[in-house]
Amino acid sequence: MDASLLTVQPAAPEPIYRQIVEQLRRLIAGGQLAAGDSLPSVRDVAGFHAINPMTVSRAYGIAESEGLLERQRGKGMVVAGTHKTTQAASHRLALLEPQLQALVRQTRELELPAEPVLRRLTKLLGE
Amino acid sequence: MNAVLREMEATTAPLSVSGLVHCYEGSNVLTGVDLTLEPGSVLGLIGRNGAGKSTLLRIMLGLLQPLAGEALVFGKPALKLDDAAKARIAYVPQQPEALAWLTAQQMLDFVGRFYPRWDAAFARRMLERWQIAPNKLLAKLSPGERQRVDLIRALASQPELLVLDEPAAALDPVARRELLREVALRAGESGTTVLFSTHIVSDLERVASEIAFLHQGKLLMRCSVDETKEHYARLWLPARMSAAAPAPALSRRRHDDGSLSLVVERDAHGQWPEAAKLPGARVDALGLEDLFVEIAE
Repeated sequence: MDASLLTVQPAAPEPIYRQIVEQLRRLIAGGQLAAGDSLPSVRDVAGFHAINPMTVSRAYGIAESEGLLERQRGKGMVVAGTHKTTQAASHRLALLEPQLQALVRQTRELELPAEPVLRRLTKLLGE
Repeated sequence: MNAVLREMEATTAPLSVSGLVHCYEGSNVLTGVDLTLEPGSVLGLIGRNGAGKSTLLRIMLGLLQPLAGEALVFGKPALKLDDAAKARIAYVPQQPEALAWLTAQQMLDFVGRFYPRWDAAFARRMLERWQIAPNKLLAKLSPGERQRVDLIRALASQPELLVLDEPAAALDPVARRELLREVALRAGESGTTVLFSTHIVSDLERVASEIAFLHQGKLLMRCSVDETKEHYARLWLPARMSAAAPAPALSRRRHDDGSLSLVVERDAHGQWPEAAKLPGARVDALGLEDLFVEIAE
């Protein structure tokens, strides 16, 4: 994996370390990163994005404690073994929770009933 | 004995000030500022133009005597630094004026002799990269070029403490990114302590581990960048609910329609104030720039 695969938006309300963990989670859940794939070093990520290396270390540390990554001698961080990476549907669904809640909030703000929103969503998902 | 000394070195704050008060011609600039930098931290100082950022930096380094208060550099009084301490520090003012009668190359060769860890190859490389004519007199360079030369001088000395006053002002986006990269990697790998003032908040969000917010002569806020983003938000209450607004808020603004915007903080359990749960209330996450604007307005 290359450091350029990650995107960093410093001005977003979400802290950069969380942005990185979130992207790793998605890349792994979506299969773009497979078990055993090496991650770029902390220095590479920090240098490429001009961010504080401690931010990257923190993100890697969290991803490691969540079982997404593991430290391998001589290779640095790699994507953790398959039993951990093929995640249950419930786990993948949990990743959508913030977007679903935002959708609910906006539906309420627009004073829309649930029915047409669900219909539209079903149609979009079916496509 | 040596081990004890080393330990003391390691735990001495590179910069520390307490009770700073200063004023210019009767108007107060600083009205009681306390600030300590931990070794290896990158502290971004934000504040509006004229908030006293440059004054604070100059006092912290002993370049200006405050009306009251104490400033320490590596644990020693800032106004009486010896040469050994000075060799560990690099400071880039907003408008460098020193040694204007030398060319960029002559100046770098000259000051390089005073620094035990001077990196001449880095200085050469950066002059080329930032497109500075090495044989032009400093006096003939534009203010932006002058500041770039001074940034090169500061970085080439490989300081333990790097203090930059509005470094972004003189740089285009590409050079700015290069500077941030240098700052970030040096802090992370060599343990360089960095203090920089800026009003370009996104620069700070990239590399700073902490921010300090200078407003009306006082430090309003001093915390880690990540925590700041996670702990503060804007709470908006419609006019009919504005009476329910929580009393402690960092800022409070009433809009023309009677609705209220407040900057609120999570409590010890990570919860927003009760009013956030009222129907019609809204909590919006804030980037640092929005937070800055909300508070400074």
